Parts: sequence; C-alpha cells; structure tokens
Amino acid sequence: MPNAILDPTGRGAGSVTSPRGGRAERHGDLAGLRVGLLDNTKHNALLFLEEVGELLVSRHGAASVSIVETKANFSVPIDETIVSRFRQACDVVITGVGDCGSCSAAAVADGINFERAGIPAAVVLTDAFTVTGRTMAEVHGAPDFEWITTEHPMASLSPDEVRERAAGLMTQIVDTLARVAS
Amino acid sequence: MSDVALDADAAQLAVEHCYEQGWSDGLPLVPATQPLVDRFLAAGGRSADDVIGHMPQLDRTVTVELAAINAAMAGCKPEYFPVVLAAWEALMNERATKGGGWQSTSGPAPLIIVNGPIRGELGFNGAGGVFGPGFRANATVARAIGLIVRNVFGVRPHELEQATQGLPGRWSLCIAENEEESPWAPLAEERGVTGDAVSATLLRTCEYVDNRHTTDPEQLLADFADTIGRSGAWIFRHAMAGVVFSPEHAQLLAGAGFGRADVAAWLAEHAGRTTRELARAGKDHSTEAGVRFPGTDAEPDGFQRTVAPGAEPTMLIAVAGARNAGISMVVRYFADWSGTPVAIRREASHE
Repeated sequence: MPNAILDPTGRGAGSVTSPRGGRAERHGDLAGLRVGLLDNTKHNALLFLEEVGELLVSRHGAASVSIVETKANFSVPIDETIVSRFRQACDVVITGVGDCGSCSAAAVADGINFERAGIPAAVVLTDAFTVTGRTMAEVHGAPDFEWITTEHPMASLSPDEVRERAAGLMTQIVDTLARVAS
Repeated sequence: MSDVALDADAAQLAVEHCYEQGWSDGLPLVPATQPLVDRFLAAGGRSADDVIGHMPQLDRTVTVELAAINAAMAGCKPEYFPVVLAAWEALMNERATKGGGWQSTSGPAPLIIVNGPIRGELGFNGAGGVFGPGFRANATVARAIGLIVRNVFGVRPHELEQATQGLPGRWSLCIAENEEESPWAPLAEERGVTGDAVSATLLRTCEYVDNRHTTDPEQLLADFADTIGRSGAWIFRHAMAGVVFSPEHAQLLAGAGFGRADVAAWLAEHAGRTTRELARAGKDHSTEAGVRFPGTDAEPDGFQRTVAPGAEPTMLIAVAGARNAGISMVVRYFADWSGTPVAIRREASHE
C-alpha cells in the first residue's frame, strides 16, 4: 500500500464553510431610520459615503446620519465591538468602497457581519473585485450575499464625479437597504 | 534511495494529482507523504501542532505540520525546514503581512536574506546570480513561503489574491548574504542576531543599478538615491527602500569609510524629487495618511524626501552577488521593515 499524498491546505478536499443565515429584517422604506457610514479609508470612499448619507436623508426619508467611522485596517473585517457600536447608533449601514484586493474582500465580510447583527447593509465594490468578493462571501459562510457593484475605478474620480456616482447608485442602495425579502 | 526502483510513471501520476487538486503554483510539486513530512518535522524540532500564523480576515491558521507539507512539496530538503520556519516567522512579524499584503493588487514579493554558516552547509547561493535561478536551497525556501500562502491561507490568484500584475520574482527571492566578500559585519549580526538567521520583508519592486563609472563614493550613492527617488512606486507620503549591494560597490563604499548606517543616512537624505518633478506625475501632494495626489499649494522647488526622517535605521543594506561588476539591486519595500532578524533554530543533532 503506497503512502497517501498529503493535503497541504488543512481544509480537506471540497470543504466549504457551511452557510450560516442572517439577512437583517427590512421595513420596506427608510422613513425615520438612522444611517451609519463605515469608511474603509480608500481614496474617495468617505466622500462617496457622505454623499449617499445626505441623499438618503434629503430624498429618501432617513432621519439622519448618526454614526460615521473609519476602519483602522481596511484589510481586516470589523470586530464585534464595532458592530455593536453601529447596532446601538444606527438602523442601516453603508460601507465601502472596495477598490483594492484586500479591502474589497473585507468589505464583503463587514456587510455579512452587519446583516448577522440585524443591521441591513449596503456594501459597495467596484466591478474589478467581483471574484474576490464572492470568494470572501463563501469563506464567511454567506455564498449568496449581495453587494452593489460600481464601475472601476473610483479612486481617480474628481469630487464631482464621485457625487455623480453616488447619485446614480441611490436606487440600488435604497432597494438593498429597504426591500423586504419576497 | 539507491535500492529503490525509481518508478517515473508513478511519479508523473502523483505530480498530476497535485496539479488537479489546485495545490501548485504552476510548476511541478513533490508529492508529500507522511514519512517525508516526518523528516521535516524532525529537522524543524517543533511540535507539529504549533500555530505559526493566522490570517484573521479568513480565520485560517498555519501549523508547523502544514508548513512542513508545503515545504516538502516546494522541493525543500528536510534540513532546509528550519530556514523555512525562520523565514515564515520573520515575515509574519512584519506589518506588511498582517494586513492585506498577500491579497494586494501590488502583488508584493517576500525578500528573504540568510546569514550564518548554514548558508554553506545547505548550499544557499550568495554569490553570482544570487537572485536566481539555479540553486535548490534559495529557490525552494522562497517557493515554500508562496505555497503556504496559497494553500494554507488559501490566497490564490484571481480569487483572494488580487495582484494586478505581480512582482517578477515573487516567491523566488531568497538570497544568502555574501559575508565572505562583504566589508561589513553580517546583516543579522549588525541587528543583534549572530550566526544563522533570516531577515525578511515584502517588496514592492526591485531595480537594478549598474555603475562602473566612478570611484567617488558620493557619485555612486547618488546613482542609488536617484533610483530610490523615482516616483513610479511611490504612492504615500514616504516610501522605504534598501539596497542589496554587490561586493564591488560595498567595498568601494567601505573603503571610503562608509558603514551601513552611513550609507543609509546618505541615501535617505538625498533620495527624493522636487515638488515640480512630482507634479508632472500627479504625485506632488501628500497628507499624513492616504495616497499622493495632484495639488497646487506647495513650493515647486521644494525637495520631498522619499524616506521618512528617522526611518534610516530600517533601511536594509545587504551584500550579495559576484565580485565581478558594479551591479547592485535597489529593493523597495511594500510597506516597511522591522529591522529584526529571526534566528534559525536547528535540532540539537545538527549543532
């Protein structure tokens, strides 16, 4: 009997993280809800998020932008402490903008963590990072997690172009945060 | 080995099996079996279950045993395994690998520098063609690191690894310092670790400097400062680099009275560009955090240093290559370097 060839991954063939549920409940609209923004530090991300926050308040009935935080490390998903702070301070959250290798993957994980904590989350990635986002969703046991995709690149846009980009995504963002699952 | 009939057909099947599982970096792997991995574990002298790395964003953990399997597959000999463990530890100590380095669009490459008598004992090349290829110890130790990242962390190209192009030489930059022809003390010894040791960080680029044109040390250093000061790989307020000097360049500098710290100080002071020059590339404006971008408010003739004031002690100055030409390599870090070597710990039987 020959010796078996050893698996170098430590995870075994075909092993995947078993799906764990957790899509936060939606209310159909954003009336009176408090908005949280989680900035991943990438260039133009905060400007984009602030513009989305303003539009949610001025045009979509949200009460206010009630919490804005900047990630300490854009590569690593946020921990339970930060999720708790958002759970206390807001009702829905927008995060991004995923426009790099590790920050896109981490933004997807952040969105999954918010949803599991009961906070509807709109995660924005550029379209160059679809595969890494999907891989991260699988790693975190939420293979069907949905995020919002915008055209790459985002970092080189002018401030006016960033605001335009935000305005153009509002329908999707509102839908993501408010649509009750059918 | 000699009394075993070599079954090349079976070997080919085993190699193909490894490809089919997605374990390979593109080149053939040595199929690892328990008896082979046990020899690695014996040479490493550490418990198989010891945890030597964790990637929090994926919650994946590297154990000594998984590192041994990947080192075996990379083509290492068991006696190289202590070097792999030290190189891995040195890299995991670096800030560059704690965040998104392995996933980065920059596609950074680990640089691993080996010091001490182990270089000769195991055949690490520190002389001609030091950046490879051609030497099993150099090639397979660097490759082992890449396989651990690929297989254990599961950071694979096009998936969690998002290199736009990747750095040529990624997973192959393991060099021995040419201590015999260096005018200075071994790199690790100057950093407080005598004997067998590894120093390592992640690189953003490598760039060749050919200067056989002057015997003036400041003219020579100015050529390096110009290369370090280039704007292409410079994206934040400051950037960090070191130099792997050929013996000829190192000896010229040492002959003129320059120690490592003097070289670093000179380069740090002179590497950079004027605001006007950076403005041509849209990189003249910088803030404490965040990337460079175009701005209009700075004095055009003001000089912007590449290396942050105070960072000189962590410029990596090493010596490697043949004593046959004035050719050296600027190595630009992905982020920074701790300046802290890791001792290579070998089993008692080898000491």
